[in-house]
Amino acid sequence: MPSASWSVRTLSLSLILTLAGSAGLAAQATGAKRATSFTTSRGEWPSYTGDTRGSRYSPLDQVTAANFNTLEVAWRFKTDSLGPRPEFKLEGTPLMVGGVLYATGGTNRAVVALDAVTGTPRWVHREDEGDRGAAAPRPLSGRGLSYWTDGREERILYVTPGYRLIALDAKTGAPIPSFGTNGAVDLKTDIDQTILPDLVTGEIGFQGAPVVARDVVIIGASFKEGTAPKSFKNNKGYVRGFDVRTGKRLWTFHTIPKKGEPGYETWLNGSAEYTGNTGVWTQLTVDEELGLVYLPVESPTGDYYGGHRPGNNLYGESLVCLDLRTGAKKWHYQIVHHPIWDFDLASAPILADIVVDGKGIKAVAVPSKQGILYVFDRVTGKPVWPFEETPVEKGDVPGEWYSPTQPIPTKPRAYSKNSTSIDDLIDFTPELRAQAVAIASRFKLGPVFTPPVVSKADGPLGTLARGPTNGGSNWPGGSYDPETHMLYVASSNAAPAVLGLVQPNKDRSDMDWIGGVAGGGRGGLSVQGLSIFKPPYGTITAINLDRGDIAWQVPHGETPDAVRNHEMLKGLTIPRTGQPGFLVGTLVTKTLVIAGDPQVTTLPTRPRGAMLRAYDKASGAEVGSVLLPAPVSGSPMTYAVNGRQYIVLAVSGGPYSGEYIALRLPDDGSR
Amino acid sequence: MTRRVGFKGLISACAIVALTPVLATRLDSRPRPPRPGARTVWDSVYSLSQAATGETAYAKTCARCHGASLSGGDESPPLTGSGFLGNWNGLPLSDLQTRIRTTMPTDSVGIYGQQLVTDVIAFLLKANGFPAGQADLPKDIEPLKAIAIQSSRP
Repeated sequence: MPSASWSVRTLSLSLILTLAGSAGLAAQATGAKRATSFTTSRGEWPSYTGDTRGSRYSPLDQVTAANFNTLEVAWRFKTDSLGPRPEFKLEGTPLMVGGVLYATGGTNRAVVALDAVTGTPRWVHREDEGDRGAAAPRPLSGRGLSYWTDGREERILYVTPGYRLIALDAKTGAPIPSFGTNGAVDLKTDIDQTILPDLVTGEIGFQGAPVVARDVVIIGASFKEGTAPKSFKNNKGYVRGFDVRTGKRLWTFHTIPKKGEPGYETWLNGSAEYTGNTGVWTQLTVDEELGLVYLPVESPTGDYYGGHRPGNNLYGESLVCLDLRTGAKKWHYQIVHHPIWDFDLASAPILADIVVDGKGIKAVAVPSKQGILYVFDRVTGKPVWPFEETPVEKGDVPGEWYSPTQPIPTKPRAYSKNSTSIDDLIDFTPELRAQAVAIASRFKLGPVFTPPVVSKADGPLGTLARGPTNGGSNWPGGSYDPETHMLYVASSNAAPAVLGLVQPNKDRSDMDWIGGVAGGGRGGLSVQGLSIFKPPYGTITAINLDRGDIAWQVPHGETPDAVRNHEMLKGLTIPRTGQPGFLVGTLVTKTLVIAGDPQVTTLPTRPRGAMLRAYDKASGAEVGSVLLPAPVSGSPMTYAVNGRQYIVLAVSGGPYSGEYIALRLPDDGSR
Repeated sequence: MTRRVGFKGLISACAIVALTPVLATRLDSRPRPPRPGARTVWDSVYSLSQAATGETAYAKTCARCHGASLSGGDESPPLTGSGFLGNWNGLPLSDLQTRIRTTMPTDSVGIYGQQLVTDVIAFLLKANGFPAGQADLPKDIEPLKAIAIQSSRP
């Protein structure tokens, strides 16, 4: 492979140990005790979602409704210089173990270890992958990494943009020589398929954080955005488990079954042979007690057109449960049959031990782009509340194959808008309403699962949908409070997707149809700069998982400048609209739900910036906010060191390059 | 073959990381406001023919991630509406041009020169409902510094 890599180590081992020894209560746990003691309950954040269960929950209680507004910057770390140029999309959630914070950052996805109290760097590791890194389908700094210890050794594991699994010594940042080949496993090999066209440019990667559980590290796969693929053939997104000590592959799960395997029959005309994608690009979760892995699987090749892959297409857009040790399938449930809406399972499944009608259930709940929370018994795969196979519209795109029904849960009800109708269009004023209706008349409207249409310049330009691609909830997923059995999730109501199909030139794609809009129709979905849909544009919802009911829902995000300052809205009183962000991560603590605004706003009372907000988790009432220089672009995390609670956020976006910001209460006694 | 070269030493590493931990900093932001007396994107600063050129380039390169209808993707922000304008409201067009030119497309940064990036910006202005005029949007950075992105009509 024509690439080179190098690492930088900033401090000697002895100095590191000295610093770690002063880093607080977390660092006091040493030796064999460490193997089991790193949990959010002890103030650590040892896994991407805090635990391996998708919880994003910490019982820390120092930051409260009473003092949230006094939070200050403890330290800030700009990621500009970790790569060859600044990045403007920093999506990482760091880990904190033993007084050290580990994070990915920079345009080449470096790993950095920082002192959790001061933000001072301890070591930096960066792989220079040359052309292979440049060809990555999911470049930039990724979402994070994973930590493992057996009580003696400590390792950090992450996946490079070029799809190599790297194991580092957590103390020094040095690659582990006994892992794979000199600390790296080439994930484009030993994958039960030949990655085409070659190992350098072959399309497959992974930008998520690996999950480590019981000495198994699990890696998913991701690909380029798929609304207009260049071919109906692609590499397949198999999921694999590796031995965390050696890097040896333990198992491979074929997300597209091979001939002879169950599910192959759901790919008609032999389409399982050539169809690709169908990876797991978001965070997967593990029940370490049960030894089960939960895979949220994405769409097969062609987000909006499946005519080259007739059939239901297992395990596309399915939740799949595997044995952690062997990779053997325990159960699966296909959430969308024959996917043609880009309803990837984009959020980490959340493990929840709930009580329904007096009966304890080990459940798994999956937020979705379509704003539906799918809740299963995670042992059996049976829905906790029945799903009804609901008849859906059959489309008329030439060559397409349609599933006559889709499963829709009877509970909970949808937590974000996933349909479009005239009634959903803005009505601030009759004039704006009329313009919105005129725009909408060029599209096909309908309920969730209204299929894509052939785009015609004289209409319809496409199916106007909410949910597909970037509605509802995406990779930041939700949070779960194991004490109260409440699930919290942010979502977007106002991200219009146009499901239009056009015939591509053959030099662009060999697909019969790709996503597109007939000539001259691009844009135009806003009305005088306003969303075509009524507010709220984005919300946070609390769902009681014992009852399957929505407990509260509040608009999340300041009313956008374009609404507050609009000349046609002067004199109107418009309640907070929230913001149409589908990339809002929630953090739940003992008393609060914490989330950042997805957009920048400027108010007469404060300068330009994006707010970080705290809500009373019982009522949804906003109880505090602080101003950040840019939107929170990765899910927040929290930890405690030396008796002080920290909240760390990735911020970036627009002109603001990536930065990790750590907040804590001031020294002056207000905590 | 993978090759690793180790670099040790605090000074060189700090130069690479360029880190400045600051305690108790105020959480403020420092946008670069447009020049005093600046025009805004409401002042018909691009032409329809330029937007058409930009649209062709957009369809060829940008749409695969940001979507044919500019509504964004799983990994890519929308390029219309408040999800786009919120981040740029009050800033000069030169900032947007620099951002696109130096970071896009992610797998082949810099393949579009200043002119084509500017043409794409003209298309984005059209798609966001800003009025067209007779003259093209200039590609040079200095005149772009004097044109403010403003989400609402002044």
